[in-house]
Amino acid sequence: MWASIFVLHLLQGIPEALPLNPIARWEWVFPVVEAVHICGFSLLVGTILILDLRLLGWCLLRQPISVIAKGLAPWIWVGIAVQLTTGPYLFSSDPHEYVQVPAFRNKMLFLVLALIFHFTVIRKATEPSRDAASPIWRKPAACASLGLWLCVLLAGLWIGNL
Amino acid sequence: MGLLKFCEWLSHTSWSVSLRDGTYDYPVLLIIHVLSIALFGGMVAIGNLRVLGAAMRSVPVSQVIQQFRPWKWIGFGSLLVTGVLLSMSDPVEYGGNVMYWISLLLLLAAGVNAFVFRFGIYRSVASWDDAPLTPPSARRWAGLSLALWIALVFAGRAIAFF
Repeated sequence: MWASIFVLHLLQGIPEALPLNPIARWEWVFPVVEAVHICGFSLLVGTILILDLRLLGWCLLRQPISVIAKGLAPWIWVGIAVQLTTGPYLFSSDPHEYVQVPAFRNKMLFLVLALIFHFTVIRKATEPSRDAASPIWRKPAACASLGLWLCVLLAGLWIGNL
Repeated sequence: MGLLKFCEWLSHTSWSVSLRDGTYDYPVLLIIHVLSIALFGGMVAIGNLRVLGAAMRSVPVSQVIQQFRPWKWIGFGSLLVTGVLLSMSDPVEYGGNVMYWISLLLLLAAGVNAFVFRFGIYRSVASWDDAPLTPPSARRWAGLSLALWIALVFAGRAIAFF
């Protein structure tokens, strides 16, 4: 509890958007960056969804899991790059406001969890050495990945709702 | 019956009223709509990038396209149904919104593009399935498809501004 109060205190020290920041100056910049953020969302979550469907055994079955994972990995990175550029920029339009919205803080929490899960458990599940012997936790891991990204999406939609 | 009259009639139907006044109808539909964007958009992106030779090159083109097809139809069907229902929440507003109609035109163009690819160059896919470089005309259609879907996201986001 003390830790969260401390973090909140730190976050609230973030200043208002700078007056020269284009996103704070012109009304049209926000929706344009937001549209790029939606395209990046579709690429990142869509690509992870394809990988999870493969882990569940529902799609692209003729190739080993590691081959699919390797083919998709660069585009997951592109998706992450787009989202980690447009996201913080959208945030910079009104940092003081965002840090006080619970949905925003939940989204960041789930995002960190989803990314950690992807680069630990999912990475392990898609290693070439595991192609032949399918580990028993592979399908639960795919479901957990889907659940975590769904939470990121729900919290993200909720920010706009408030 | 003119368009405006039709929209006014539509806005008085019980479905439209419930979408406008209900607490959960709109957000639930929006969540399904955005989830479908991830499923459909992700597969459109990876499928087109495969034709462009930029993703999953170790998987033959025809396999990516065939394996994605049922999922794409599920995603597209769900996008269309939720999209129509979301439009019904305020038919008069959307019916008179130029960006709404531009979005629908872009959707139609993307559909025609997919049709031309499917029943044109794609019929000879067997001869370039594993080729290191796909035919220029296939790459043109794939590039155009990506551009149209991205334009649709931008136009869709712009609806709120007109």
